[in-house]
Amino acid sequence: MYKYRAQLTKGDEIRYISHLDYAGVMERAIRRAKLPAAYTEGFNPHLKMSFASPLSLGVTSDAEYMDFELTKPLCQPEVFDKLSSALPPGIRLLKLKPVKEPKACQGKKHKALMAEVEQGIYEILLPLLGDWDKAVNAVKSYNTASEVNYHRVTPKKTRDIEVKQYMVEPVALSMSGDLLKLTMKIAITQSGSIKPAEILEILVKTYGLPGDMGKALINRSMLLGQGKPLIDLV
Amino acid sequence: MVKLEPEILQAVEKPARYTGHELNAVHKNWDEVRCHFALAMADTYEVGMSNLGLKILYEVLNNREDTLCERVYAPWTDMEAIMRQRDIPLFSLESFREINSFDFLGFTLQYEMIYSNVLNMLDLAGIPIWAEERSDRDTFVVGGGPTVYNTEPICDFFDFFILGEGEEVISEVAAAFVAWDKNSRPGGRKGFLREVAKLEGIYVPSFYKVSYDEAGGFKSIEPTEPEAREKIYKRVVKDLDKVHFVEKPVMPYIGIVHDRIMLELFRGCTRGCRFCQAGTSYRPVRERSREYLRELARKLVDSSGYNEMSLTSLSSADYSCLGELVDDLFADFEGEKVSFSLPSLRIDSFSIDLAHKMQQVRKSGLTFAPEAGTQRLRDVINKGVTEENLMTAVEAAFKQGWKQVKLYFMMGLPTETDEDIIGIAELAEKVARKYKEVTGKWGVTITISVSCFVPKPHTPFQWFGQLPKAEFERRQRLLKENIRERAVKFHYHDARVSVLEGAISRGDRRLSKVIFQAWKDGAKFDGWTDLFKEDVWHEAFEKCGISMKEYNERQRSLDEPLPWEHTTPGVSREFLRREYDKAMAARLTEDCRRGKCSGCGVCPSLNVSIRDWKRDEVRIDV
Repeated sequence: MYKYRAQLTKGDEIRYISHLDYAGVMERAIRRAKLPAAYTEGFNPHLKMSFASPLSLGVTSDAEYMDFELTKPLCQPEVFDKLSSALPPGIRLLKLKPVKEPKACQGKKHKALMAEVEQGIYEILLPLLGDWDKAVNAVKSYNTASEVNYHRVTPKKTRDIEVKQYMVEPVALSMSGDLLKLTMKIAITQSGSIKPAEILEILVKTYGLPGDMGKALINRSMLLGQGKPLIDLV
Repeated sequence: MVKLEPEILQAVEKPARYTGHELNAVHKNWDEVRCHFALAMADTYEVGMSNLGLKILYEVLNNREDTLCERVYAPWTDMEAIMRQRDIPLFSLESFREINSFDFLGFTLQYEMIYSNVLNMLDLAGIPIWAEERSDRDTFVVGGGPTVYNTEPICDFFDFFILGEGEEVISEVAAAFVAWDKNSRPGGRKGFLREVAKLEGIYVPSFYKVSYDEAGGFKSIEPTEPEAREKIYKRVVKDLDKVHFVEKPVMPYIGIVHDRIMLELFRGCTRGCRFCQAGTSYRPVRERSREYLRELARKLVDSSGYNEMSLTSLSSADYSCLGELVDDLFADFEGEKVSFSLPSLRIDSFSIDLAHKMQQVRKSGLTFAPEAGTQRLRDVINKGVTEENLMTAVEAAFKQGWKQVKLYFMMGLPTETDEDIIGIAELAEKVARKYKEVTGKWGVTITISVSCFVPKPHTPFQWFGQLPKAEFERRQRLLKENIRERAVKFHYHDARVSVLEGAISRGDRRLSKVIFQAWKDGAKFDGWTDLFKEDVWHEAFEKCGISMKEYNERQRSLDEPLPWEHTTPGVSREFLRREYDKAMAARLTEDCRRGKCSGCGVCPSLNVSIRDWKRDEVRIDV
């Protein structure tokens, strides 16, 4: 089997599809591309593919990663062109690399894509509803707080999370046109993480960030492992 | 143009229902075409996107250079609430334009229980609900689909209807519009309706006057305009190899109801089950050629990326070259991991062998439809299946390894007695015991699904009084008490919905005010059991002074005029009468596909003929 890693986008057009739906869309795209895809065994064969950290509904991305396998070692340009031309609106193929598996005698395999993810960089754009100074102060207070607690409520369970443990760097604030721009680098760990939308909620509700949350647009710009974009780990 | 803010889309269930941009969706320049068509289903995105007819018409219309076609479905209740609160009008999924800026809004009418949703969508679109209140600026509201053989209960909401198969006539409608528009729209709205009324298969209800007798019964319907025909026959495609079929389906980003390729093998089914409206309304049988189907299958796999294909038809196992076609498809798609399925199976071992071959290893479950519990009643409905047929079929299935069988039945069929109901339980138990006999062990699941019979227009049972709700419920209890085998699981339909469907499906023009009232009082998504508001409907009948029983429970006399006979699929009243008499005598009628002509009247009145590739080889009576 020959493994490839793709860096894909999730554009504005498909902001509101789930991670599972995104995977289904990619599966159909690979089939349309007529690539010699490898399938799992069993009654209900599926394409051998895996994804990095799932994205929340409503978030766009320039850093969706997908590993997939082919039964023939096609050259990079051929796979790139075929896959690119089969993608639906809202998904673009940015980069593609064959995954070089370590030799069997070295005794180790590539880690699963999911397990390689350590950090994500997100940008949030939202209208400013008031003073810039107030925004600066809100972000500053959040950044300097030693501990921030968030009460996460999901349909299945509720739990309390200490947020600051996941902040790799302080939240950066700037203006982009007439929109507020927040940039955040978040740790993604085996035991959990915090979502950018949750940080925004804390900033607005607890720290008084004067922004219009209802119009906020979130984008994931990078996913990193060992400090490098995942595409550079293969 | 409608723009939905993130806070709206974040607040609703499945927001991708409203965001469009799917692969293969067609985006045309609004100003470069004359005819703007919105195709709708008054149900959710997932249901609407699964409809084959809409997929075909979408491509047919968009293949015209002078026309664009976009899609719209019913917003779910959460989205509707937001749209009403914020004054967001109903919009299309391609250009996000307001629906009332389109020239046409075409609804596919799949079943009666979506009528309240049709009104709701018109209201959300800002289109006047009553056709007579629409002005020259307003969108033309068009209906088509399976319920058009009695449109009277909703005809006051529509400008016109398309009867029968739409792929040819819809293009004629678009052409007529373009010509009328180029000609500076002579005669205004009514002028255009006069033009379309000239086309075969088009019914313009406002061009007719209905009269009632002194007792309030329906008496007659007469044309009032020279263009209006006395009788409107459905449209029918003579050669299905020569009309456009779906080639590039719009690919949803989210899961839909039928999330697979639908390859339509043929239209029509003439097995002649007397309860079945599809059986009379899609006549005659016309098969596509094996070569054309192969070609279509290839195009569809390539353009969609789906790896599942359903070979659809009313009774797919009747396709004359099915075995060969399946072999072709297996060969063509070897190595592409495409799986094939048949949506319905005939009760015989040919079907079982084929299903076995198609499913290879996965044995998901088999479905058969004996429809009635005793031989007598199966003969009444002309089902043409014996207990022996069923036992042979399930025996073959159990030998092949299946251990889940679903059996469909109906309750409330004409002449049904308690013995027939108990017969359902007995038949299911015999199937369960057959499993033990074949495999030597227990562990089979037999699911019996029992629906409530709704008599439909243009069927031999169109005169029958439907059972009252309480009687349906008594028979459901009776059946439940008579199931003793643990392997048998019993599902039944909600009788509350079936009796309403019974009233509306054989209704007349007076029901439009009831439907309007029910919608005003909050009826919507009536086909969704948890949203069905029984009280609202009963109150609506009361408020309008109309008796529901008069429509659903009343036994019609065989010589009374019926309010739907002027819009016909071509089966004659005489044929239906003969079938009614034969039903009462429990006598069978042959399938004319290969057997004797039953004289239903469709072929001569529509100038069409049966196409079955093996007809001449096996025909019993030439």
